[in-house]
Amino acid sequence: MTSLPLVGFLALSGALLAVGVFGILTRRNFILLLIAIEIAMNATILNFVYFGAFSPSPAVTLMGQSIAVVLIGFAATEVAVGLAIVLALNRVRRSINVAEANELRL
Amino acid sequence: MNWEELAFLALAVVALVTGVGALLVRELVHTILWIAVFFVDLSAIYFLLAAPFLGVLQLGVYAGAVTVLLLFGIMVTRKRIFSREAATGIGAVPLALAAVTFIFFVSMVGEFPQGNLPVSGIDPTLLSEGLFGAFGPWLLLLGLVMLGAVAGAIYLVREGRE
Repeated sequence: MTSLPLVGFLALSGALLAVGVFGILTRRNFILLLIAIEIAMNATILNFVYFGAFSPSPAVTLMGQSIAVVLIGFAATEVAVGLAIVLALNRVRRSINVAEANELRL
Repeated sequence: MNWEELAFLALAVVALVTGVGALLVRELVHTILWIAVFFVDLSAIYFLLAAPFLGVLQLGVYAGAVTVLLLFGIMVTRKRIFSREAATGIGAVPLALAAVTFIFFVSMVGEFPQGNLPVSGIDPTLLSEGLFGAFGPWLLLLGLVMLGAVAGAIYLVREGRE
């Protein structure tokens, strides 16, 4: 049976979340911003899978993996809406720099 | 150190390097290449954690669909696809906040069991039974959110909107 260190996995997802936070705070390009959000989101999804996989109870494993499936769907939806916003912003402003999108209307 | 730990270490290093690389390279197309490797790497981690269904889902949804969507976004928003981004400074405050996030998480790691733990997987049949049984309402909710997202996205990109 495979055995792996839970602590190492937790540190990995903490580091990935930190990378995502860093990207969200520094990047000004909308697409890079979406990518940073995806990195942070993936760190979260990984956590659900870890706690499911390292739990001896099959019910918890099932719950962790089910939540991960649903979250992957939500993350993909978020990218689709984000790109629609990118296209609309690009058509109106000729730029996808989020610093220039300073009005609530497009 | 057994081969699974070595595999985990290699995958973790690749995930961190590609994640940071995707955010730091100047050409957006290169960013997409880095992030595609990142997604494939995460799917390998799912396989390592005995979750093959999630691994395949990650490959299909992220490495496939999301990567192509992002590439499409770059294609339609710029005239020359290989043009470089203007350099944005790294900044002390974002770096400090990211460091605080990481330290916060690592400081909580001590509360969890140290050392190696056995990994238990689940049969994909059981997972699908759970998804359409106990987690059915969540899946339905996901479907409704996706429907709303499709409607919203079409409204946003519609031509001739004032």
